[in-house]
Amino acid sequence: MKFLHIAALLGGLLAAAPVSAETLIRVGYPGTGIDDRPFAYGDYIAVGHVKQLVEDEFKDVPDVKVTWTFFRGAGPALNESLAAGQLDFAAGLGDLPSIVGRSRGLQTRYLASAGSHDALYLAVPTNSELKTVEALKGHKVAQFRGTNLQIATDRVLEAHGLTEKDIRFVSLDSNAATAALVSGNVEASFGGSEYLDLAKRGVVKIIYSTKNDDPTLGRNSGLLVTTDFEQAHPDYTARVVRAFVRASRFASDEANRQAVFEIWSKAGLPVESFEADFKDERLSHRLSPIVDAFIVSRYKDQVARAKAYGLIKKDVDVDGWFETKYLEQALVDLKLENFWSTFDAKGQKVTEGEVEHTKAASN
Amino acid sequence: MGGGQTAASSGHESNIDVAALTRRRLLAGAGRLSLGLIVPGGLLIAWVIAALLGRLPEQILPPPWVVLDTISQSIQDGTLLSNTVTSLRRVAEGFGAGALAGLVFGTAIGLSKIARDLVDPLFLALSQVPTLGWLPIVVLFVGIDEGLKIIVIGWSAFIPVVLNTCQGVRDVPQTYMELGRVLLFSRWSKLTTIVMPSAVPSIFTGLREGIANSWQTLVAVELIASFEGLGYLMAYGRQLFQLELVLSAMIAVGLVGLLIHGLLALVETRLQRWRPEISR
Amino acid sequence: MSLITIATREPLSSSSSLSPLPLSPVARYLRPLAIPASLLVLWELLARFGVADPRFLPALEQVAARGVAEFNHGGLGSNLLASLERDLIGFVFGAGAGVALGLVIGFSRLVQRLLGPLLLVHRQIALFAWVPLISLWFGGGETGKVVFIALAAFQPTLINTWQGVDSIPRHYRELADVLIFGWRDFVWVIAIPGALPQIFTGLHAGLIYAWTATVGAELLLNIAPGLGGRMNEGQHLFQMDLLLMCIFLLGGVGVVFNIVAGTLERLLMRWRMP
Repeated sequence: MKFLHIAALLGGLLAAAPVSAETLIRVGYPGTGIDDRPFAYGDYIAVGHVKQLVEDEFKDVPDVKVTWTFFRGAGPALNESLAAGQLDFAAGLGDLPSIVGRSRGLQTRYLASAGSHDALYLAVPTNSELKTVEALKGHKVAQFRGTNLQIATDRVLEAHGLTEKDIRFVSLDSNAATAALVSGNVEASFGGSEYLDLAKRGVVKIIYSTKNDDPTLGRNSGLLVTTDFEQAHPDYTARVVRAFVRASRFASDEANRQAVFEIWSKAGLPVESFEADFKDERLSHRLSPIVDAFIVSRYKDQVARAKAYGLIKKDVDVDGWFETKYLEQALVDLKLENFWSTFDAKGQKVTEGEVEHTKAASN
Repeated sequence: MGGGQTAASSGHESNIDVAALTRRRLLAGAGRLSLGLIVPGGLLIAWVIAALLGRLPEQILPPPWVVLDTISQSIQDGTLLSNTVTSLRRVAEGFGAGALAGLVFGTAIGLSKIARDLVDPLFLALSQVPTLGWLPIVVLFVGIDEGLKIIVIGWSAFIPVVLNTCQGVRDVPQTYMELGRVLLFSRWSKLTTIVMPSAVPSIFTGLREGIANSWQTLVAVELIASFEGLGYLMAYGRQLFQLELVLSAMIAVGLVGLLIHGLLALVETRLQRWRPEISR
Repeated sequence: MSLITIATREPLSSSSSLSPLPLSPVARYLRPLAIPASLLVLWELLARFGVADPRFLPALEQVAARGVAEFNHGGLGSNLLASLERDLIGFVFGAGAGVALGLVIGFSRLVQRLLGPLLLVHRQIALFAWVPLISLWFGGGETGKVVFIALAAFQPTLINTWQGVDSIPRHYRELADVLIFGWRDFVWVIAIPGALPQIFTGLHAGLIYAWTATVGAELLLNIAPGLGGRMNEGQHLFQMDLLLMCIFLLGGVGVVFNIVAGTLERLLMRWRMP
């Protein structure tokens, strides 16, 4: 009976594996909406989720069931699920957590870009005296550790002559960070577009944003699959990629700008905050799935910096990690080979895609 | 089993017996020790072998030398020490506050039945709530700074100290109290000469539980909201998937726990040596 | 063991006291209620007259109304059930393993010597120090939470069962020898009944520890239906009424557990000594 305990542990682990003849496609998203709502925002993954494009892709296959899990603990929590064998796809996983996971031996494949040039915002309480990044030295700042916020923040700090050791960072998820900022428990917070609405309402003010800064300071995220699932079901993998490319097609089209913002507002943020986040920026700038030289160089750069900041101990091989054959196949199938632009390692446009000519509905 | 020495005379026999006995005892002790080391030793060897064979996925358990390296690294750059000191300081402050308040409060209600009747239901109700359950509310009131930790840790120490102090004060044998009355002791003298010394064992039990509680609560609170301390190291290791950091912090936690345990046992034996003079 | 004191203690004001004065029946009933009642009145007055910040001290009827609303529409009932479910599953696994291993260790000197040091070290590690490791190994979902809760229940039940078997008086064993009891008879007729009170103490403590671990797991691991999740929500949205309601439920479950365990222990005592 001593084995009861071990049996329980094994049972728990096994319960994560797919059961019976049904094939589960378990998709994980590193984040939740406001109040931990199970909705995403800011990328085409959210569009794919709300429009049920993945489920639609498998309508004709009765034995396949698609499940979505939203992780309040963002990238790190999603990594834990991946490690425990509880997920097949990581949709929208940030660059740092995916790099960290790979450096620790998580077997994944990077299929497509799920977001790039995501802005980082530095918010402080309205009555704060802090005005610049340099002023943060020695203060208490909230930041969700282990997410792509961390490495983006580290780069911003480096650009302003600071290191992590100069700041007293508290790791809080986005809801907790907002609450802490509002109640004065922390003096500043690094985060994403969730702060725009608060700024508009006058609850916080944003003193810095990467939007107007060096384009390589933006955050990236990707669509990943476990090698186990890819090897067991390459056909399903291809179809999932296709579904998300469809989502990206919809989300990159300027004509759908308002519709996309409205889909994102299901996460609890108002449409205005997305308008502010994407001000003077085309949707396709961030929502393209293409893995071009820019994306590859971004990830290689992030790996080097992660190692330099002590966030990972070993090097991570990027070339062997990226697997774009499914993406290329989906582009051919959907006749979208020329839809998106491609960029070189410095972010300069190499080829121009049709999406550059789409226009928002005239208001 | 005497090692072949023959007894020349009966005078030597007892020496040989003692030697034989000691040797047997040492062997038995060594045997017991090695028996106890089999399982941990076996696990350690299995760990090393699995890591050497490359069979151990890093996300389950990093190789032991990586953990050792991390530990020595963090000792060298002082982070392990500074975080441990921070955690210990918090425990000391929280426990100190909670235990002191508990002693005063426990003595007060131990002495007065009226106070007990008044306080008991509230105290009973409040102590049923798991200490961590108070965390969100206290955070709203005092934020996530040191105050939070002191209050929550202090509360976790307060409860057992109050309970045991009250018990100890109440259980003073009636004969002692009568003796005090006969000798016309003042209230204060009764308290200091009779009640408190008699209550010491119970008070000590309460303090021991209080510090055990404090340590447990500290770890939990540091996991939730902190930017330094052993719990913070573990949380950080978790966020960045660095198991060796988590493990090294856990080892530190275990060692501190062992230290506290040992110190308390030491103090307790000292107290017991003194105690028999008081009772009977 | 820290929580055993809370779990098994008598009310502060039972039996022996230093004051010999008898109480009138009125006083006996009114006194326990005095402080809680006056606190409630004070609270209500402060909230009513706007002296206290309503964010920090909502009026009593607001808390009650929130409670009713949450149970009817807000799903607080199902949150409570989800937490209890996790708690009990984890408890059954953990306590079961603890009792089983405790029995084995208690009966076998060999196993005691083999596992003793390992278990001693295990006990020194604070319970919550396991959370990061468990979430890295089992994920932060249901599996991870249940494993953590099981671990919390495992420790006290193991120790108490072990001690219970250990403390069976020598003469019981000698009696078994005299009566030429087989091994199985010894275990079932003498050893286990003899160790039962201590085993029950361990189970009682395990129940309380498991409930604490449930709250902690929900606050520290992934969001899922449960009281911990609601408390997080209440904290982030500054909803004191929701928080107070949750605290009330937390304490309520603790009280129920204590009462149930205490009653079972008393029944056991009565059965042993009719």
